[in-house]
Amino acid sequence: MARGELSRGLRRAIDSLGLPRCERSIPVPRTIFRPTTARCLSTSISKHAELVSETPEKFTAAPPIDFDKQDGKERGKKALLRTLRVIPASPSYFSAKPTFTGDFINLSALLRKVATLPTIPAAEAPKVAWKTIDQYRIMVNEPVKTQRYHKMVHILRRLNCIHPSLMPEEVTQAMLRYKKASQPGDVKPKPGVIDEWGRAKGVGRRKTSSAVAWVVEGEGGVLINGKSLSNFFPRLHDRESAVWALKATQRLDKYNVWGLVTGGGVTGQAEALTLAVAKALLVHEPALKPALRRAGCVTRDPRKVERKKAGHVKARKMPTWVKR
Amino acid sequence: MPSSTCLRRFSQLSLDNASYAPIASRNLLTTPQASCFSTSRARYANPTARKGMVAPPKRGTKTLNVKKGKSAPGRDTGKRPAPGERKAMRKRIVLSNINALEVRTLKDLDKANVLSKNNEGQVLGLPNEVVDALRAVEAFKTTQGWSLFRRPATLYRKETTEVAELIKQVEEAGEGQKKTIRRVLIGDRMSGKSTLLLQALMMAFMRDWVVVNLPDAKDIVIAHTEYAPLPNSNPTQYTQDAYTAALLSQISKANEAVLQNLPVITNPTLPIALPSKSNLKQLADIGAANPEASWPIFNALWAELTKPGRPPLILAIDNLSHIMRHSAYLSADVKPIHAFDLTLISHFISHLSGQTSLPNGGLVLAATTNSNSPSSPAMEFSLEVAEKKRYGGEVPRWNPYKHVDERVTSVLRDVEVLKVGGLSKEEARCLLEYYAASGMVRGRVDEGYVGEKWSLAGMGNCGELERVAIRMRV
Repeated sequence: MARGELSRGLRRAIDSLGLPRCERSIPVPRTIFRPTTARCLSTSISKHAELVSETPEKFTAAPPIDFDKQDGKERGKKALLRTLRVIPASPSYFSAKPTFTGDFINLSALLRKVATLPTIPAAEAPKVAWKTIDQYRIMVNEPVKTQRYHKMVHILRRLNCIHPSLMPEEVTQAMLRYKKASQPGDVKPKPGVIDEWGRAKGVGRRKTSSAVAWVVEGEGGVLINGKSLSNFFPRLHDRESAVWALKATQRLDKYNVWGLVTGGGVTGQAEALTLAVAKALLVHEPALKPALRRAGCVTRDPRKVERKKAGHVKARKMPTWVKR
Repeated sequence: MPSSTCLRRFSQLSLDNASYAPIASRNLLTTPQASCFSTSRARYANPTARKGMVAPPKRGTKTLNVKKGKSAPGRDTGKRPAPGERKAMRKRIVLSNINALEVRTLKDLDKANVLSKNNEGQVLGLPNEVVDALRAVEAFKTTQGWSLFRRPATLYRKETTEVAELIKQVEEAGEGQKKTIRRVLIGDRMSGKSTLLLQALMMAFMRDWVVVNLPDAKDIVIAHTEYAPLPNSNPTQYTQDAYTAALLSQISKANEAVLQNLPVITNPTLPIALPSKSNLKQLADIGAANPEASWPIFNALWAELTKPGRPPLILAIDNLSHIMRHSAYLSADVKPIHAFDLTLISHFISHLSGQTSLPNGGLVLAATTNSNSPSSPAMEFSLEVAEKKRYGGEVPRWNPYKHVDERVTSVLRDVEVLKVGGLSKEEARCLLEYYAASGMVRGRVDEGYVGEKWSLAGMGNCGELERVAIRMRV
């Protein structure tokens, strides 16, 4: 928006000076995000990935000035002068960061316009993932300061708090520019289905174990890899872990479980089964989700063996200090 | 008045090494071992020092002493248990716990109702005389939870009823068509195979059968008792005199009431003279007292017991897999002796395989075990085949690349199995209620509790149920 106008105005200004047509300097996006040399290993590549995918806005060149096109009434030099008169399209044209300033002014104006609409508490507002400062910088190709951007996000958050049923279309459209491409809740897992034999499948993982559990309505039988629970897990604690999702919700005598577990050790297998059984149970009774979450059966435990480091005996253990 | 320092100097004068310098240099041992006549100095040496704290070691001295053996520091000097005491402790059978509550509603079994179908799903007490007899044949095992309750009681489960049915069949068979029923008890670990064997023996005792029980096959084959080749046997068989004598004494003690009323009717030729008009108990006692004659006497006793008009017999063995392989005994040419070449085992095996039948009818029971079983692939295969034949399923095929013990497969060729599975929920509930009545389970025994324990015990595995409900109680 602003960029197009700006360039058009710029063009007009250049042309108005009557200088010979020169090659338009194409603004090269300043390299704001420099891939720094990897100093530490990080497993979280998501931030980098989303920056790479971010593209700067399209640069639209202003149309050439048509000197022949003139109003019918006024003729002569005065009219020509009016054609050539430099009028910046954006009020922020002379600022250092015209696009950002334009965005900010527009949003402020919009907020002023809709300020009287009823709002809902911020906690109840729809969850929105706003663009990060880096993404925004790449989009507008301007060195925007973090604090300024935060102020803008503040306005956006306020706009987001307008009551959803009264949300003007204008605001929705304006906010779209600042939202990330993918929003929380966009990716919905496929809802589990109970197949024709009444089975619900769940998959769970823990450490290096992975488990698949099929849960059917029944009277409390559990078979894991074709063995009974007591045969498969000699330790009582592991048995309780494996069926914890059912035990915590008092459903142990209402379902039968078939499990297949591979990999890892005994405890890992038992806890992988916890998750698998819980997920399969959620297919049968989705309303149990809060109860299962309280029982700790919904979230996958992300802890794994920490890798060994060079110069260490184990992940963190250092060799014994020896005097020379 | 002399000062205290002066007095102390005086008291220590005799201990002063300097005064003995000339002798001390020649022989250290001659230094008089005198002690100070006052102990107060040591007692009040450092009243502020805490008990157990010692002064830090001198710099440069070696303080870590990891020596083993006699010179080890801080060696445990406690009294060691006498030889055999530890084993006696380990093998001790405790059948009562005076801290457990007495269950008022517990009914006893008796001769009339022991085979009744109505008992199914109830916990019933064992009468005292049967407990004594069962103790005599070593039917109680240390791993079973008898010591948790006031007095021995047992759950009549579905499989118990099946065994009762078998006993009834044997008893009701008419003259001339007496049955010998053979069964091998199989099932998961801790599923109650040995207990079922005990229940079978209990029924036999109550029904006045003669019980011959080999309490643990392991004891026979691990070469802990003496053995000798049986004269005139081909291929050579081996007798175990001490073990046979012990077995005879067990038989005599456990079946006292029955054997006393059975006179010796044949005229056996024995190495030891038998008094005239003796009964079978006397015969067995003579064998027990004379180990060198125990095997002929055992044979004579068996011959007497299989004469017409005698009571039915029950032959039982636990830990079957131990006898389905080579024993730990060695022959004269230092080859391992197959367990089937031991006379007692071959006697049992001939009945288990159906080669010999019991003329007065009877039951041959063998229980397998999963906790202490040496691998016997031939037996495992044969029993799996038998199980699949009985309960359905695909009959497995022998892996042709494996060595097969032909003697074992031929014995177990047409044997039937009795699978001891998990308890049903009703049985589990009954058992848990009994635990609760004995004060071992504190909580309320309701549907949810029973279901939970039943599931955690691997779908009603009896031993696991006990572990889950009583032993592992948090």
